[in-house]
Amino acid sequence: MKEVALRFEDIRIPGLKDEGLTLEIRTHTAATVLGSESSGVDVLGRYALALLRPSAGRVLVFGEDISQMTRSAALAFRRRVGYLPADIGLLHNLSLSDNVALPLQYGSSMSEREIEGRLRIMLAQLRLTDVAKRRPADVTEEQRRRAAVARAVAFDPNLVIMEDPFDGMTTRAAAELLEIVRGGETTEGSRRTVFITGQSVPQSLEPRIETHYRIARGRLSVRT
Amino acid sequence: MTAPVRAVGKGVARTIALIGALARFFVRTLDAIRTLPSAGRRVTARVLVKQIWFTALQTIPLIIILSSILSFLVISQAVRELGRIGATEYIGRLMVVVIVRELGPLLTAALVASRSGTAIAAELATNKVMGEMNALEGMGIDPLHYLVLPRFGAVVLSTFGLTILFDLVALFAGLVAAMSGMSPDRYFDIVLQSLTFRDVWVTLVKGLVFGAIVGLISAFHGLRISGKPTEIPIASSQAVVGSIVAIFIGSGLFVLLSI
Repeated sequence: MKEVALRFEDIRIPGLKDEGLTLEIRTHTAATVLGSESSGVDVLGRYALALLRPSAGRVLVFGEDISQMTRSAALAFRRRVGYLPADIGLLHNLSLSDNVALPLQYGSSMSEREIEGRLRIMLAQLRLTDVAKRRPADVTEEQRRRAAVARAVAFDPNLVIMEDPFDGMTTRAAAELLEIVRGGETTEGSRRTVFITGQSVPQSLEPRIETHYRIARGRLSVRT
Repeated sequence: MTAPVRAVGKGVARTIALIGALARFFVRTLDAIRTLPSAGRRVTARVLVKQIWFTALQTIPLIIILSSILSFLVISQAVRELGRIGATEYIGRLMVVVIVRELGPLLTAALVASRSGTAIAAELATNKVMGEMNALEGMGIDPLHYLVLPRFGAVVLSTFGLTILFDLVALFAGLVAAMSGMSPDRYFDIVLQSLTFRDVWVTLVKGLVFGAIVGLISAFHGLRISGKPTEIPIASSQAVVGSIVAIFIGSGLFVLLSI
């Protein structure tokens, strides 16, 4: 039996009329919560990172109520979670490689040499080696998104939270990114837990995602 | 009838609220030194060095030009005018009080505010507009640690260093200007006789305080915007105007406190 990685309990969002949102994501699985722009699913990732506090209900990450955390504990917690925001959020004055290196430099105990090595692997895996020294404004939208994915998984987090990650991408590129985010599979199922929010994911990716939640017409439905 | 009073009252209330917000921001910035995680120190130090490069090293030519022209103009006029009444020994006090102690820190800070303060405010405002604050927070990096602290520290150190440079250049440019009316030995004699220990520490403290004012106000206005792109130039303008007004007020307070 897999543990619960992420649990939302009775969270109030505009898309659900009469009830709070209650759902859970098991470890080593991928789950989507989809809904229209007005449904409020776009804030769930930020609730899960304690970037926003829900007006009611609570969010448990690996069993811990993150709304109870102090600011420094919340910052330390976020340094262990991969995050791909909807607006990508690469720092405009850093090169792509410096952007990817930032969470490694800031949140890990790796030496400069180890960081360099890890960086090379990530940039090659995301096919960014040739543009690594360019700034976000000088590369394509897909390369920016690839860099943001590299940044989110560079320190090998157990949990990755992604907001509208495949927006404007080809199905093939989206499938490739999802596989990279999920990480390698072993018999123990050591793939990462991936929580995706947004309006839609490409249909061909659905078999690769274990749980699909959808908020529509004021109700939450689930498909596994 | 009451409209002007109301307008003045509103302005005063806004100013008090602004000073309060700045004071809170200053306390949070200082507190960020304590809460900076050990792994983040390396990154913050790197940003600090980069900012010192932009704020101090790239400003050196400007400081040299401004300081030497100002000092040359003031001292050459003073030599001519004071020479007529045989009071050239007052050139020393003029150099120390007017240029070294008052104009040096003031003009250096004004230059840093107009050059780097605007850039810092625009950069932080752009970070906010582009959603980079949210991304940093999401990565567990406090924007105060990564964006504000190194820039604030760099502006303080740079203004301090540039103030010393301004004054040294002014002393030597003054020598060139004074040579038409006196020997170099006499010039250094009267300048050094006029220079007290108090003049030195007041100048150095002003360099640090004015640097802190520019760093703080620039970062504050950069982060104060709500997130619209049209607010970026407004933040820059508020940063430079606010900094210059604050350092002039600061300069006045130093004079009042030292009487």
